[in-house]
Amino acid sequence: MKDSGNHEALDQGAGATETPGKAPDAGLARRKLLLGGGAVVASAAVSIRPALAQTAASVLNCQIPVPDPSRAGQHIAADGSLVAPGTEGAFPGSGRAFTGEEVRAALRGGRTLPGASYEQSRAYLNYIRRLQSGTSGFTCYASLQMPR
Amino acid sequence: MKHSCMLSIGPASFRIGSPWRAPIDALRELYAAYPPVKSGIADYTVRLEPAGTGRRWFRPSIAIAGDHMLADAAPMALRHGLLAAEMGMNLQMALGWRRHLLIHASSAEKDGQALIMTGESGSGKSTLAAMLGECGWRFMGDEFALIDLVTGSIHSFPRLVSLKNAAIDVMRGIVKAPARFGPLMEATPKGDIAHLVPPADAILHMRDPAEPALLLFPRFGFASELRGVSKGEAFVRLTQASTNYVALGEAGFHALHHFVDTVPAMALDYANGEEALAAIDQLWEVRS
Amino acid sequence: MVDGQTLYYRDSADAVVEHDLDGLRLVFHRPSGITHIIASPLPEIWSLLDEQGCSAEALWRQLSDHYDLEGDSTGLVQHLDALATLGLARLQR
Repeated sequence: MKDSGNHEALDQGAGATETPGKAPDAGLARRKLLLGGGAVVASAAVSIRPALAQTAASVLNCQIPVPDPSRAGQHIAADGSLVAPGTEGAFPGSGRAFTGEEVRAALRGGRTLPGASYEQSRAYLNYIRRLQSGTSGFTCYASLQMPR
Repeated sequence: MKHSCMLSIGPASFRIGSPWRAPIDALRELYAAYPPVKSGIADYTVRLEPAGTGRRWFRPSIAIAGDHMLADAAPMALRHGLLAAEMGMNLQMALGWRRHLLIHASSAEKDGQALIMTGESGSGKSTLAAMLGECGWRFMGDEFALIDLVTGSIHSFPRLVSLKNAAIDVMRGIVKAPARFGPLMEATPKGDIAHLVPPADAILHMRDPAEPALLLFPRFGFASELRGVSKGEAFVRLTQASTNYVALGEAGFHALHHFVDTVPAMALDYANGEEALAAIDQLWEVRS
Repeated sequence: MVDGQTLYYRDSADAVVEHDLDGLRLVFHRPSGITHIIASPLPEIWSLLDEQGCSAEALWRQLSDHYDLEGDSTGLVQHLDALATLGLARLQR
């Protein structure tokens, strides 16, 4: 089974595991804190806001994303090339069963990111920021359900 | 309005009114096994209204109205009246429900625990839930999963399953009783649609909650692949999939955090239903 | 150059509700109803603010007592400004 790979780097625990924002006890090794400066500091926050004003563009683009939207469809055309699902004459890639170990590993691997380093946390935040469609679930659902 | 019926679905109740008889007759027939509305008072009203002057009679088309409405929705053909009523009920829930955290997801229960499946249209979550309902699981819903704001339990909202396009044939191959299928509505704004009445046990136990045990992000039409989804990612995806997270404020914040913190999340790509069901069986067996 | 005059404040602790999730900090801001997900170094900086107000210089000293700091005071001020933009901190020049 091909692991998605997106989170391989993020799964390597490194650095401190104490709760962010709580000063570590005296006597423990001090954790690094990266403040940056000079160049513009990238945003370290993602916000869940009330629905934005509904514009035609946001309604059309609105989707409730499924993990890994960056991956292309993997239906196989007669000549063996990869094409979008639903293409005439193409069929889905041959499915395979997962082993119990693969299932357990995926279940364990996805549940939490233990002790991610600063870079990993920031990369992670950037990744989840991209999951936002720009509209809240409220607007998204309403726009998907009603014909216009 | 001239014709109306009242429906009790999970914890919610609706009054559907219509100047035309056909959609109400269809609802009465398909929801025949559902319990009556206690107290005779509905939570929400849905009204099918003639769209524009004279549209009651001349080329009748329907505007969906009710306690909660969307102003710029396009009208629908009278022959799609049943779909309009279902969409009207979904809209009331999506825009008005505050008693639970509402996630746009399907769900099914086994051994007192719930599997929740969420994703975009075409992910197959409705069809998968319907299929699970026919092979040993209790169908809990195909549109909304309701998360209790205090206990975190999942509550059932088992309205008619909305089957689209190819899924109709898939379920006709599995469910042999023709009476469980509503009329085929062709060329609706969402494609060909037919409704499937949930199994008897789903209706009988629609007030029984279940503890969430697994969150799945299915995706139909891809080579089979399974990966874990981390908590932060699941949290943000669910805020996108929830119609009332923001409106619920602090209660929604706690409920969603608790859900994501305690329920493992996986993404499953699959090429056909059997593959997905086999993967779900495996996941269910090793769930903690 | 750190401006010694600007003071940074946060509201009282019960204006927010916090949870940790996956090494990130979830913050529900009651006055605005907005949920923020913040990553290091924002939670560490924010937790040292209080209702009395604190200059960037004083914050720098406190932070360096607890952490090995990398970067400079400009970065600290940018993060403080980011917290203010989010509505989680206020500043007074």
